[in-house]
Amino acid sequence: MNRPSPIDADEAALIRAAQKGDQDAFERLVHAYDRGVLQIAMNLLRSPEDAYDVYQEAFLRVFKSLHQFRLDSSFSTWLYRIVTNLCLDQMRKRKTRREESSVVDTEDGPRDRMDTVAEGREQGDPQRSLMNRQLSLRIEQGLGDLTAKERMVFEMRHYQGMRLRAIGDVLGTSEEAAKMCLFRATQKMRAALGDFV
Amino acid sequence: MNCELARKNTTLFLYGELSIEEEQTFQDHIEACADCSAAFEAEKRLHTALDQRQVDVDPALLVRCRRDLSQRLESVRPRSGLLDWLARLSDLRIAALAKPAAALALVAVGFFGARLTTPRQPITSARDVAALSSADPSVMRVRYLEPSASGRVQLVVEETRQRTLSGSVNDDQIRRLLLAAARESTDPGLRAESMDMLRSQHASGELRPVLVYALEHDPNPGVRLKALDALKAYGREADVRAALTQVLLTDDNPGVRTQAIDLLVEDKDDSTAGVLQQVVQKDNNSYVRLRCQKALEEMNASVGTF
Repeated sequence: MNRPSPIDADEAALIRAAQKGDQDAFERLVHAYDRGVLQIAMNLLRSPEDAYDVYQEAFLRVFKSLHQFRLDSSFSTWLYRIVTNLCLDQMRKRKTRREESSVVDTEDGPRDRMDTVAEGREQGDPQRSLMNRQLSLRIEQGLGDLTAKERMVFEMRHYQGMRLRAIGDVLGTSEEAAKMCLFRATQKMRAALGDFV
Repeated sequence: MNCELARKNTTLFLYGELSIEEEQTFQDHIEACADCSAAFEAEKRLHTALDQRQVDVDPALLVRCRRDLSQRLESVRPRSGLLDWLARLSDLRIAALAKPAAALALVAVGFFGARLTTPRQPITSARDVAALSSADPSVMRVRYLEPSASGRVQLVVEETRQRTLSGSVNDDQIRRLLLAAARESTDPGLRAESMDMLRSQHASGELRPVLVYALEHDPNPGVRLKALDALKAYGREADVRAALTQVLLTDDNPGVRTQAIDLLVEDKDDSTAGVLQQVVQKDNNSYVRLRCQKALEEMNASVGTF
């Protein structure tokens, strides 16, 4: 359900306290959003180290600019705008560096991307596990074929549950443009999954 | 509505992005057009397949991110009080004539600073600072300081001492700590894991209120889903049903609302149909509305209210 206002009273109080230098308030603000930030960065960049860099840089920027934040705007939109811009920069850098391979960097060294996808309840059923691995592989390939903007819109709408209007605000574009991006992304994912659905 | 527009609107319908009028027109078209209905079913299967992609964050990565951010913030945070004054003093462009006065001030600062960093008396009545070596597992944060004329200083510190406990979930102390973690930990991963550990403790009677509280108040939807899952064992209890109804009507996460529907329908009572009818009329997510409609049909209840 939609929230009644861009920022609720508890969050506004936390932001005010953090703006006055209350460390605990800033920490609570970080903890309220950081799992989502890491999740979106991880899903978009598919590298724990790149996601780590985005996390650090995003919250440092928030910390340094929080005194300029106006409480009549949405904190989450502001934060996610910072995060998506950082992710976009990373994706552009990566594009110039190399084509994405099926190997991702992890703390334990390079691993196949699919090995980093956690298995769910199917663990006891090898056939189902294999099917799910194949499906996950198709999904990853499909996501890899999306443009950076399509990827972001799709990630924020499908996996983060954000409204298209909010996504438009985050990406500095219109709701209509976000809608078109979602259409294109869904079409591509449909084509990528093909006989799986 | 023609078929081309209906195909376009299928995606928006499933994401709950159509207006009520558009939804109605879309549903009318789907009911009348077999091809678009089949395309709609295929799109739903696509959504279900995409939902299977795991998106949970590695807790170890989250912990590392938080720890390192905290350290970085310490280095960029503006210093306060004496340290700030010291920093500003060191930044001053000291004019030649002011050098003696500045030197005197630095001597005084050094004296006072030495008292701060190597106190001869305990900072708190309970602990000698000398004991706080790097080997000490305590984490201390100075919250307040008050210098006195005698050169002593009183510090108010927050102290976190790590200790390892091990034992069975049945052990009273372990269970109480897990219950506290499930309710009060700032880490949602820890809250969820604590609930998982406690699930076998149905008989204790202490878990259900914690789960109900988490379902109604936890800010993290993953934790709320975990609480919902654990509450399956208590689906007939009045407080649980009240919480499920509340969640179904007010939770902002459609996944949580969908799970709440499933649990409510498992043990239907007289009020279930009324709640589902309300959701069909008011919920902004088309999938949640569809689930309610289906549940009402299975109950042979009317979809609309009278």
